[in-house]
Amino acid sequence: MGGDLAPEEIVQGAAEASLALTSAEIILVGDAAVLGRLLPNMRHDGARVRVYHAPQYVEMDEKPAEALAAKPESSIAVAVDLVARGDADAVVSAGNTGASVLACARRWQLLQGVRRAALAAVFPTELRRGEKDDPFSLILDVGATVDATSEDLVGFAVMGSAYAKLVSQNRRPRVALLSNGAEAGKGPPEVQQANAALVETTELNFIGNIEGIDIPRGVADVVVTSGFVGNVVLKMLEGVSETVVRLARYAHKERLAWRLGLVALSSAIDQLKSITDWQQYGGAPLLGFTHPFIKAHGRSNARAVGNAIKVAHKALTGNLCGNIARTMAELDERAQRRALEK
Amino acid sequence: MFTRLAKLPVRIGERIGLLEPDVEPLPPGARLPRHTFRWDLDKTYLRTEFDSIKDLARSAIETAADKQAFPGATAMLRALRQDEHRICIVSGSPTQMRQVLAAKLALDGVEYDEFVLKNNLKNILRGRFRALRAQIPYKLPAMLRSRIAAAAEHETLFGDDAEADAIIYCLYADLVAGRVSLVDLERVLTASRAYDDDAQHCLDLAQAVPKGQAVRRMFIHLDRRSPPLGFRRFGPRLVPVYNYFQAALVLYEDGVLSARQVVFVGLEMLDSGQYELGHLATSVQDVVRRGRITRDSALRLVAEAAEAATSGALSGRTDLPPFERISEAFRARVRELGNTVPEDPGADEPLDYVRLVDEEHEHRRSRRKHGVS
Repeated sequence: MGGDLAPEEIVQGAAEASLALTSAEIILVGDAAVLGRLLPNMRHDGARVRVYHAPQYVEMDEKPAEALAAKPESSIAVAVDLVARGDADAVVSAGNTGASVLACARRWQLLQGVRRAALAAVFPTELRRGEKDDPFSLILDVGATVDATSEDLVGFAVMGSAYAKLVSQNRRPRVALLSNGAEAGKGPPEVQQANAALVETTELNFIGNIEGIDIPRGVADVVVTSGFVGNVVLKMLEGVSETVVRLARYAHKERLAWRLGLVALSSAIDQLKSITDWQQYGGAPLLGFTHPFIKAHGRSNARAVGNAIKVAHKALTGNLCGNIARTMAELDERAQRRALEK
Repeated sequence: MFTRLAKLPVRIGERIGLLEPDVEPLPPGARLPRHTFRWDLDKTYLRTEFDSIKDLARSAIETAADKQAFPGATAMLRALRQDEHRICIVSGSPTQMRQVLAAKLALDGVEYDEFVLKNNLKNILRGRFRALRAQIPYKLPAMLRSRIAAAAEHETLFGDDAEADAIIYCLYADLVAGRVSLVDLERVLTASRAYDDDAQHCLDLAQAVPKGQAVRRMFIHLDRRSPPLGFRRFGPRLVPVYNYFQAALVLYEDGVLSARQVVFVGLEMLDSGQYELGHLATSVQDVVRRGRITRDSALRLVAEAAEAATSGALSGRTDLPPFERISEAFRARVRELGNTVPEDPGADEPLDYVRLVDEEHEHRRSRRKHGVS
């Protein structure tokens, strides 16, 4: 069982989720002896938390392909396999992201019409959205693959929109393509072609292109880009956030007046912290496969893991994969009709 | 006419719950029971909420039909009702609830030999407000009186994790086994804030109770989903269970229930709509993992249950998959644990009851502080 705080926090999160989700059964995949020692010390429902022994796990810094080859009985490989065999319905993991994506790609099927899976991530914005007043926007792909064709970008837009509809309870999420200008003609050819295709869709609330500056403003609810760009953007957003925190710490140490200023602002900072608390979001989905996969943050604590499990449960009960497949089929049908008309 | 008039005050007293019928000893010449099963009601047999005043009020006005038994509990009680077995119910509910509780048990088809409730009206009239909440000074003497009236060779106790059932049951078991001296009992009763005359009465009962290693098994229904590890200190004889299928599995290993009876407990749970076959299979894995039954017992049960199923235990159950598939799912759950050694359920060591009672009081105070009764 991977994750920086595994197995204690992962087991605690699963235990708490077993009490909240009475219709679900949670399977803990990992060293049965360790899990068996931890579980009885936690409040949980013993009829709804099952242990599946996996004697190995992929370390956070291991190379995915090598690790999966060397550890066929690693917890991620076993968990993904359980879903592939129909013994489970979804996977939640806080472990090695690359190994998770690779394991899914090897054992699971892509949804019909989806050419590539995409890893999505959430980030806090100024604006709130949906019935849940959600402060998070979704960006995808952030690294499941490196490059993307225009068809891939259209697929990402469909998948991101379906996810935002379900999880943020946002009826018509605003979908945008990330480019170097708002005009449709801006950006590399695949972005221009994707823009042209998305403008014609009625299934999505496509608002056009946005620039990097619009991401933290929350102009779009779903930001679509290639895995390479998405990963760079995500890391930069995280870097900026960490720098702000470090600067605040520096200010706290440096001058009494600055320290007093920070104390005066503490409740506002707390409020900001609660708004941008990624742990409440649980995890990021890997979209495009026939089963939901929620990738929890490597540093996930029990609360974050519990929320990631709830997101996975929501994806199942809300038929996320089915909705993506249906929209993809509708787009495909229209594209075929147009081709015939021409 | 005169006799009926003379009995009138008694009948009125019983009606308002002021007078409670005494536990009657077995008639002369009657055979002693082989096995006595003692049950608590609220949160053990009945799904009762009394965490708030609103819950208490709702519980008081519920009719027998409104009250809900935990899935599998009724089938379990019916299975335990056999020749030379005795069912004794000791509940902390007030005597005024007797009619509705008795009606609920009748509705469920549960037969019993004894049904003791707490006479809180008498406590109020005597100004004994401390006794209203006290559990040990009420339940322990009630159980001792019951054993004096009809001492069985074996006893199995069913309680829950809401109050002090684990402490009371272990204290009772140790008293009956002669492992707790009267001096120690007196200290426990003092710590439990028992009134002097009640404490003396309890000491007299403890002295008179027939001794023996009678209590071999106690079940604590984890209604509050308390961590099972918290009960490890009570030793392997006390088994925390999440549901009655788990209790049935342990009783199967103890030789008290047959595989067929375990199947009926499971079927009742499935019929409740609150459990699916997967939940039952996971319940098996949970008790195996916690070292409460062995893998061999679990696998033997699956084999015997298959025989029971083919001989008609599942006849007419078209809603269920073929039993081969069910039994394979159960076997798979056990296999999923790999070769890991199950948890050691702990050793049977002497308990410091005074400390346990103090801890329980502290726990209760903290719960009250946080708004949970």
